[in-house]
Amino acid sequence: MQVQVLSARFDIPDANKIEIAKEHGAYATLDKVFAMQPEEIIEVVKASGLRGRGGAGFPTGLKWSFLPKNIDKPVYLAVNSDESEPATFKDRFILVRDPHMLIEGIIICCYAIKSHAAYIYIRGEYTTQVKVLQAAIDEAYAAGYLGDSVAGHDYKLDVTVHRGAGAYVCGEETALLESIEGRKGQPRSKPPFPAVEGLYGCPTIINNVQSIASLPFILTNGADAYKAYGTEKSPGTHLFGISGLVKKPGMYELPLGLPLLEVIDKVAGGVRDGRTLKGVIPGGSSTPVLTPEEAQTVTLDYESMAAHKTMFGSGGIVVLDDTVDMVKLVENLIYFYHHESCGQCTPCREGLGWMLKIVRKIIRGEGTTADIDLLTELCDNIEMKTVCVLSAACTMSTRSYLNKFRHEFEAYVAGGAPAQAAM
Amino acid sequence: MAEKVKLFVNGQEVEVEAGKNLIDAFGAIGIEIPHLCYHPALGADGNCRMCLVGIEDGRPPLVPACKTKVAEGMKVQLDAEKIKKIQRDIMELELINHPIDCPICDQAGECKLQDYYMKYDGQPSRMTVKPVLKAKKMDFGCGVVHDQERCVLCARCVRFTRLITKTGELGIVNRTDAARVNIFPGRPLNNRYALNVVDLCPVGAMTSRDFRFKQRAWFLTKSPSICHGCSKGCNIFIDHNREKYKDDVIYRYRPRLNEKVNGYFMCDEGRMTYKLENDNRLGTPRVNGREAGFDEAIESVRRAVSEAKKAVVLISPNASLEQMFAAQQFAAAINAPVSGYSDGYVKAGDGDDFLIKDDKSANRASFALLGIDDSKTAFEAALNGADLLLSFDNDLSRSLSGDALTQLLADTKLIMVASSQTDCVAKAAVAVPVASYSEDAGSLVNCDGRLQSYEVAVVKNQPAKSLIEVLHLCGGEIKSNQEARAGLQAAVAVLKDIDLEQIPAEGIALTESEVAHVAA
Repeated sequence: MQVQVLSARFDIPDANKIEIAKEHGAYATLDKVFAMQPEEIIEVVKASGLRGRGGAGFPTGLKWSFLPKNIDKPVYLAVNSDESEPATFKDRFILVRDPHMLIEGIIICCYAIKSHAAYIYIRGEYTTQVKVLQAAIDEAYAAGYLGDSVAGHDYKLDVTVHRGAGAYVCGEETALLESIEGRKGQPRSKPPFPAVEGLYGCPTIINNVQSIASLPFILTNGADAYKAYGTEKSPGTHLFGISGLVKKPGMYELPLGLPLLEVIDKVAGGVRDGRTLKGVIPGGSSTPVLTPEEAQTVTLDYESMAAHKTMFGSGGIVVLDDTVDMVKLVENLIYFYHHESCGQCTPCREGLGWMLKIVRKIIRGEGTTADIDLLTELCDNIEMKTVCVLSAACTMSTRSYLNKFRHEFEAYVAGGAPAQAAM
Repeated sequence: MAEKVKLFVNGQEVEVEAGKNLIDAFGAIGIEIPHLCYHPALGADGNCRMCLVGIEDGRPPLVPACKTKVAEGMKVQLDAEKIKKIQRDIMELELINHPIDCPICDQAGECKLQDYYMKYDGQPSRMTVKPVLKAKKMDFGCGVVHDQERCVLCARCVRFTRLITKTGELGIVNRTDAARVNIFPGRPLNNRYALNVVDLCPVGAMTSRDFRFKQRAWFLTKSPSICHGCSKGCNIFIDHNREKYKDDVIYRYRPRLNEKVNGYFMCDEGRMTYKLENDNRLGTPRVNGREAGFDEAIESVRRAVSEAKKAVVLISPNASLEQMFAAQQFAAAINAPVSGYSDGYVKAGDGDDFLIKDDKSANRASFALLGIDDSKTAFEAALNGADLLLSFDNDLSRSLSGDALTQLLADTKLIMVASSQTDCVAKAAVAVPVASYSEDAGSLVNCDGRLQSYEVAVVKNQPAKSLIEVLHLCGGEIKSNQEARAGLQAAVAVLKDIDLEQIPAEGIALTESEVAHVAA
């Protein structure tokens, strides 16, 4: 089932070094790229059907085409490498195993959107990753792939690595921009959207690491080669991070569209012996949980996930077996989002803390049925009333547990922990 | 006239000013959209979420009104159950961690949380868990006391120090429900407009050390007036109250919106000048160092005037236009030269480029209008050979050193008609108390040539006579402001077409175009 499109050089020793990477094809597509017009590149990316790999799945080529025409301001690219959604661990492999694929992608993207400055916003916790990435960028400058004349062409490009200070919310694209500008990482109200008014007030494209890293393959092999993988509406491959209670957790590159359960069983080895599947978080902690019944029919693509009222998200699949206490899982979930709320707007700042206290009250055995109802209602009251979608990440997922595993909350209210298999 | 657009609110077509956001545009036609963080002087931030409104057929369907400009044909929903529920929900979230200590909160009675709770919420609390505890009564400097628990994090105060004073002392530290407004350690508020954050704060999180616990807001009478702290003429509210068995006392000044003068703000020094109206006032008349009756004092003045070989009239640069005119007429009647000498009222270099001016008097511009010379040379020339100096609330001790004043008084008798006790009053042969501006009405011309008027705010149990009345009792012709105004219109060309009884709220710039516009 596994494929090697993005991960082609992952297992080659020292592929983070520019000589090794070049031996295996890095930067080979640049001459072809610079022979094309920027608009042609955007068309190829559009034709490839590549969708944003940060979680929202917005078509990448379409996003680029939102840039205003005939602008007299500089255009910026910001590469979102904050990768802070719990259960997501895909971009870190690109940063460490094949940073030159990312740099090559940045060159392609910047040329296409006519940008001469790219920022890579990398989460503060990625200390090793930032060292490897910076070393690769230094190599690329030394080799002439970055700087005043990219790969000998009349094109200037500078890439700057900006380290975050450990805030989940800085993965939100406008908070990321605020953080790069040196301010407190708080999302901006939209509109204006970053494509019109982004970094330093200039048009800015923000793409996920994996989206950008997909570009060299698409430009080298063409849109059709990329579309050969995946489904019609979700073409291509994805780096899936499979974690939780499976035998072989890890990062696997798979084409989109595979059945979820088959992937869990065949790729990740299935749940531990003697355990049964209780639920699956399909794409990072913010995506609504799937029951085993729902997991039967879902496939790993955007449209199937949407049909199952959840989201493809970041490809961070968490497998839950019958030992998992869903109420405590929800407590952990709300704790995280509450802790990471930037505190800017009222519903998220006040509401998530309230939700956390209510779920803890339920766990202490002091809760009532009214508390479960209140928790459910608060999800509705907070969601989509906020500046950004951080609170929705918490409420959408929390609501799914409340709806699908309400009996576990009720068991706490009735007294003691819910009936579940012994650990 | 400003350009208009037509749009729909709750299905009703309305016409509003173009270019404004929904809050301001609808506010101008009497439709309220609740909001905490938005302030016209500080712009839209969009953090409180109270102003979320629905836009029919809109993308997105739910928008913050503060960040949304009116547009032709827009269909805005304010009364839909969906919107009312959002307002209820946001209010609930604002209040869960709020201490609800209204009984001991200074803001009670003028608090947005209270008002909005009554209007948009009204639900019982569902908070059954422990609220977030934060710091209270923090000294932020400049007389500002902060209560983090009452704070709704609207960031108006933070934006004020960043956008208006550009001093940036305040910030929001930490995140999630631990977010709080704070100063940097050891770096308190340090600007001359700091107390504006108390007015800006929509709740009781920012309080004034000076005003704390003195009065309940609903007992205060809020009378519009003009600050006399400097020549800017900031528009203010005089908040005063007569407690049972006590006198009418001023408790605070607050800035009053006038886009043409001070906007929404005033300086801290000006704000504190209310104390001069309460304290150290001249109460009892004095004749030759002893207390005297009012009639006796007036009689002494009349006698001194009639006996004087040469009298000089000195007028305060804080006197109203009407008072100046009446004093000028009085001086003409007794053949006395008039001076406005008051160099001591000017603090050179103290002003800034915002509201604070060097000249700490309110109406010096009227001297020029009436041809009253305020130079030292003219004053000294007038004094030459004079044996009587009649000062109408001009505190000469501010302009002259103690020695110079003593020397002047060696052969010149001083009569002070004054509102406050001063060195000058102590040295005067006769001192007659007079009403101050908070107890009187009149007109002023500020440093930018803008004519403004103020009305009586405070009525003391035993009101002092107005300066014009005192002038009349001393032999002046003019008996009232009305008479003075009629005289002014006849005498001063630029005032010819202005109805001094009906000066518009924003005042009138004494330039030809604006005067002509008002007259038309």
